[in-house]
Amino acid sequence: MRVLVGEDETLIRLDLTGMLTSVGFEVCAEARDGVEAVELARSEQPDLAILDVKMPRLDGIESARRIIDERPIPIVIVSAYTETSLVERATEAGVFGYLSKPFREEDLLPAIATARARFSQLVAVREQVETLAEALAARKVIERAKGILMAKDGLTEDVAFARLRKASQTSGRPLRVIAEAVVATLS
Amino acid sequence: MAFTSLGLVGAFLFGPKEAFVNVLIAEDEAIIRLDLKEMLEQNGFHVCAEARNGAEAVELARTAEPDVALLDLRMPVLDGAEAARRIYAERPIPIVMLTAFSDRGSVEKAISAGVFTYMTKPFRETDLMPAIRLAVARHSELLAARREVGGTASPKPIEIGLRSQSGDLWPLRVQRHADGSLGVVVDGDSP
Repeated sequence: MRVLVGEDETLIRLDLTGMLTSVGFEVCAEARDGVEAVELARSEQPDLAILDVKMPRLDGIESARRIIDERPIPIVIVSAYTETSLVERATEAGVFGYLSKPFREEDLLPAIATARARFSQLVAVREQVETLAEALAARKVIERAKGILMAKDGLTEDVAFARLRKASQTSGRPLRVIAEAVVATLS
Repeated sequence: MAFTSLGLVGAFLFGPKEAFVNVLIAEDEAIIRLDLKEMLEQNGFHVCAEARNGAEAVELARTAEPDVALLDLRMPVLDGAEAARRIYAERPIPIVMLTAFSDRGSVEKAISAGVFTYMTKPFRETDLMPAIRLAVARHSELLAARREVGGTASPKPIEIGLRSQSGDLWPLRVQRHADGSLGVVVDGDSP
């Protein structure tokens, strides 16, 4: 697993990196401020990020928000501050872990493990939501295209549907696209 | 008023109308249990049930209907991981596991039991509070997403089809392409 570490204090960054490498994670990028973290997340495509809250230029929470907006990954925030307002901001940004400093290896590793597990769980369900929405939308437009063909050419339902499928197969375009085209042209 | 600080926490977690966050604590050591309770109530949570072992935790989760459960891993009668599995199976709520063990095996076991957050003892208030808040928020997102696909705990294949007037069903299959986009194809031979 490739990890991005964002921490402005060199010693803590080294410590964190050492901890991660010793248990077999690959630290693929080290950022010294929030802007760098966003850039490195983009160029290095890490599987997970660990970000300190207090960093120059852009704080860890805002950095997390931008990283997640671009490409969702599990993020664990580490912080010497645990005020409710900060935790609230981190929660809204979409992070999956919040560790208060100083932390031990036995705090960090379970936090990473749970963050990864719960993140993938959420991603799996959200993909299912997307799939469902796509299928429903496709069904709606295909039904409509089928109806239009039946009315226009006096076709039976089966024949109308077969035409749509054939058009999809021969053109190599998704059925939904064909159906949309039929609806747009003929309705 | 015992819960004056609940307004803030509640507003953050659930909106101002549902200020109470009810917590179930399961811990066999009385002193730690008391300590936990105090810590939680000082931070605006309401401890609605206290269990001394895993079996009691399962029972109380059923009757007290907590919003969050904090379970010790090592407990008599039924351990925390098994209690978590049973609680989660009956009614999904965010579960925080408290434990002295942080080895990979214990963590994996807790994760597969549905545990949302894992805290290694000894922990501080500053560790626990953010963990609970985050668990509640992320878990409610998970439940919201699940409700959209029919509320099942485990993903199942989505079956949607076109039904013809003659009663045939042409199943639609959604495929995810390498670039992440979705496409719909129809299974089976064309009629």
